[in-house]
Amino acid sequence: MRVYYVKIHILLEAKIFMKEKINAVLDEALPKINGADSLETLEALRIEFMGKKGKVTELMPELKNVPNEQKREMGIALNALKTQISDALEERKVALSEEAVKREIESMPEVDFSRPVNLKTGSMHPRSIIQKQVEDIFISMGFIIEDGNEVETEYNNFDAVNVPATHPARDAQDTFWLENGQVLKTQTSAAQNRILRTYGPKCKVLFPGRCFRNEALDASHENTFFQIEGVVVDENVSVSNLIYFMKEMLKGVFKKDLNVRLRPGFFPFTEPSFELDATCPFCGGRGCGTCKNSGWLELCPCGMIHPNVLREAGVDPEKYNGFAFGLGFDRLVMIRTGLSDIRYLNSGNIKVLEQFGVRM
Amino acid sequence: MKISINWIKEWVDLDGISPEEIVERFNLSTAEIEGVEYRGANVSGVVVGKIIELSDIEGSKNHLLKVDVGDEKLQIVCGAPNARVGLVTCVARVGANVQGFKITEAKRNGISSFGMCCGADELGIGSDTTGIIELPEEYESKLGTDIKTLFPIDDVVFEIDNKSLTNRPDLWGHYGMARELACIFKRELKPIEALDLSAFDGLKKVDIKVESKGCQRYSAMTAENITVKKSPIPMAIRLCYCGMRDINLLADITNYVMLEVGQPMHAFDGDKVKEIVVKDAGADETILTLEGENHEIPEGSVVIANGERVPVAIAGVKGGMLSGITDETTSVLFESATFESSTIRKASRTIGLITDASQRYEKSLDPEMTALALGRILKVLKDIDSGVVVTSAFSDCYPFHYETKKITVTPEFISSRVGTEISSDTIVETLERLGFGVSVEGANINIVVPSWRGTKDVSMREDIVEEVARIYGYDNIQPKPFEFPSVPAVQMASHTNEYAVKHLLSTKYDMNELHSYVWNYEAFNKEHKIETASYLALKDSSNAGQSGLRSELAPTLLKFFHENKNSFDRVGIYEIGRVVAGLDENGLAIEKKKLSIVLGDTNKTEEELFFEMKAIVLDLAKNVIGVDVDLAACESFPSFIHPRAVGLLKSREASYGYVGILHPTVSKSLDKKYKVAVAEIDFGAIANARVFAVKAKQVSKFQNVLIDFTFMVPENMKYAEFLSMLSKCRSKILRGYSYVTEFKSAEMVGMKALTVQAELASFDHTLSSDEIETFRTDVIATMLKNKINLKA
Repeated sequence: MRVYYVKIHILLEAKIFMKEKINAVLDEALPKINGADSLETLEALRIEFMGKKGKVTELMPELKNVPNEQKREMGIALNALKTQISDALEERKVALSEEAVKREIESMPEVDFSRPVNLKTGSMHPRSIIQKQVEDIFISMGFIIEDGNEVETEYNNFDAVNVPATHPARDAQDTFWLENGQVLKTQTSAAQNRILRTYGPKCKVLFPGRCFRNEALDASHENTFFQIEGVVVDENVSVSNLIYFMKEMLKGVFKKDLNVRLRPGFFPFTEPSFELDATCPFCGGRGCGTCKNSGWLELCPCGMIHPNVLREAGVDPEKYNGFAFGLGFDRLVMIRTGLSDIRYLNSGNIKVLEQFGVRM
Repeated sequence: MKISINWIKEWVDLDGISPEEIVERFNLSTAEIEGVEYRGANVSGVVVGKIIELSDIEGSKNHLLKVDVGDEKLQIVCGAPNARVGLVTCVARVGANVQGFKITEAKRNGISSFGMCCGADELGIGSDTTGIIELPEEYESKLGTDIKTLFPIDDVVFEIDNKSLTNRPDLWGHYGMARELACIFKRELKPIEALDLSAFDGLKKVDIKVESKGCQRYSAMTAENITVKKSPIPMAIRLCYCGMRDINLLADITNYVMLEVGQPMHAFDGDKVKEIVVKDAGADETILTLEGENHEIPEGSVVIANGERVPVAIAGVKGGMLSGITDETTSVLFESATFESSTIRKASRTIGLITDASQRYEKSLDPEMTALALGRILKVLKDIDSGVVVTSAFSDCYPFHYETKKITVTPEFISSRVGTEISSDTIVETLERLGFGVSVEGANINIVVPSWRGTKDVSMREDIVEEVARIYGYDNIQPKPFEFPSVPAVQMASHTNEYAVKHLLSTKYDMNELHSYVWNYEAFNKEHKIETASYLALKDSSNAGQSGLRSELAPTLLKFFHENKNSFDRVGIYEIGRVVAGLDENGLAIEKKKLSIVLGDTNKTEEELFFEMKAIVLDLAKNVIGVDVDLAACESFPSFIHPRAVGLLKSREASYGYVGILHPTVSKSLDKKYKVAVAEIDFGAIANARVFAVKAKQVSKFQNVLIDFTFMVPENMKYAEFLSMLSKCRSKILRGYSYVTEFKSAEMVGMKALTVQAELASFDHTLSSDEIETFRTDVIATMLKNKINLKA
């Protein structure tokens, strides 16, 4: 009985002893961990307690001295000790890391976000930018974009597009004639014959180009300027088709629903010929400087292609017809950019032209 | 051109139609009205008065007048030189408005003045500035009557854009305008009153000889016993409102009838010109004009000469002084003629005189009008000066007739072209109102074009579409969508490449796109020793002040560089533009679309700029356009390029241009601080060149290894040569070499250190250090065979 008691006592002692040791380790570890002031100190503490020869690790072998029936209890207590210390280590590590980041942040001077930067983007010519936008609209309407020569034959520039031999436009006062009898093309229509021959008789083609007139320069007159011309040829094309088309097209170009009106015009290339006005997109028709207070902006000459022009390009005017239109492109560019003097466009003045970047 | 509504109303009743409505409808149906003047609106309170007393004011040119204005006798101080007792004139009473000037009681020369005697120019109804208006004596019975009730001072005058009437010779007179408005507003058009010329058939004819092909018709008649010298006030007002001066009756009525029917006329003094010869001017002929200037007559232009073949007028442009109307003239020979339009235009431009007559002749006038104009002018003259006697028969020489134009259309054709159903009745009514002869025959409408529309304007079915549609009103046509077969619009590579290249240059390389002119700037090029050819020049001197066309683009960009350089320390500019690169075997221009880039920098060396430019050009060619190019030895390049810093841009198939540094001479001339790289590329060629296909290459899944080698090579060795030596060492694990750098120091005599990097990788395993070492020793051994050592 006594022996038994003693045994119990020893076991009880072992148990108490184990429990005390666990508590002692815990009591030692937690304040140390929580008081650690750097990640290095914390790492030393991890080794002191949790390392291979650490204080917690060293408690493990002692478990075997604990009576069997209490092993489970002590095992749980030991595991709880491990968890508590490693949790405390982890918690402290997070806190110390955060403090370190905070110190790092605070040690850096605030960035001056207002300091300018070099964007390093040059500029495209405003004509290129707007021309691309206009072309994209036509491409979306199924047009092919073509190009044309600047030096043209008299035939292409005048005869093929029904300009009479005695027409004043052929005078040297208006046209740059070249020594070899060719001309600097006076209008994009000079490309019509070739284009109708290439794509006709059913086609939708847009042909922007640089044109030339023998004019004295001033704020609104250039001897070298851009036009954008388009032709549509098919069977049974009517004036009402032309009006519809122009309206839709201008809606695209100005990104606004504009009213259009046709007035009679006179051009040798077309019959009937029209001047197309649109409600001034800037004042909505109320009248402003851009539209000279008329509420209308004269935007593009157009008309049904003259049968002689079709015939000359090998298209049978009895079977096919169509319309042609021209956009005074430089005027559009000036309106869109706010450039007040047409001469800026060919000036090569970087200070003026770089303002537009590559977008508009 | 100015159009008076009062005048129009002689033939068309426009009652109930506001001027605003006329502007709107005329703009949409016929031509552009640029402005509207409300004449007479700022004139009021001006009455008829008679000067009954006149005394001089000491120390002044002014007179003190007593003027009878019916209910009162006003004291007026007046400075007019023609003021005299008994003169009936126009008097602005106190409170009157004289073109915006309010008449008040005023002190002049210390004397109170109660009104103003008015001159025609002061009232805005005439051009005479020499004195106050002299009313005919019969107005003495109208003292105190407001002059606006006596004369047509209130009027609405439209200013019509001449350019928009280019194709409408019939609208260059009020009667044609009246016809147009009558049609637009569906009102009746009254005939124009004229003498029946057949009544004079018994009289002798004027002797007219037409020898010039430039004269289509010459008609003339004579009259005598002309006593009235001055035009009646209503006529003078109309002339004034239409922008003409009143001169003397005979000159005025020729202008008056021209403004009515559109037919220019001329009045010769009947005592000085009795026969007419129309001929082409020979060399060195001159004429003294009405203005007293001696004009040389351009050889070949049409002149009107008298029986002695002495020029008395330049046809369609200007009359001569010696045959002109004077105060003594009592007999007249009226010319009413038509000349070929381009002949008149040429003469008018050569002489530098654009007159009311020449402007009309340039539009191709209807020769049928000459008779009507003579009948009308004689009627107007006799109405004013009843004692006038016509002394010749209608005399006419008519060598050129326009063919009468006949057109047949159907309502279906018109409707389909317009895109809106237009009835046969509407078509017939519109055309008839415009003066067309119309007859309906089954489904067809047969049309005879009136002579005044047939000289060039109307000749085919499409012209009839226009006539019908414009009067129908373009604003009444409903927009209609139309169907097209859906086929892809495949764009040309050259065109899409253009934007892509511009975008690359402007964004990645911080460059500015500029647009220039086609000129070859000789003076600039010469100044900076830039030698460049020009294969084609303008035929005549021009407003542009330049004569030759450029054959390459770079010189233009160098000019732009020069103009911009002082504002920056780096200038990167480019243009895609056209040049004339030569002439073909037929002498026609060989045009090329070029891309030129100029890159100038004050902080970079020539070598740095050269390679920057090389990178730009290869980037756009390979990565944007997709042509496999590189620089090669360049045999021919412009003389403004440095001969030791230039490369030819070429692919296997073709060469496209060059990259180079400016020649020191040119460079120094342009700027001492800048170094400048230049590229010029045949953009049309490269943008349309065969493109290499991008095919995905196999990429190793295993870690690659990069190793650098630095070799000592002869300093003039080209990288391409070095690389071909290196490539002799073959290895399965070699993926490729890339250039790293090269440098040179003083102790490396004739040599330079060149560093390349090899990329090694295998497709099936991770490389071992042995494999890498083997490769390394192989490379070194290979180069040793070429006597090239690793740098120590």
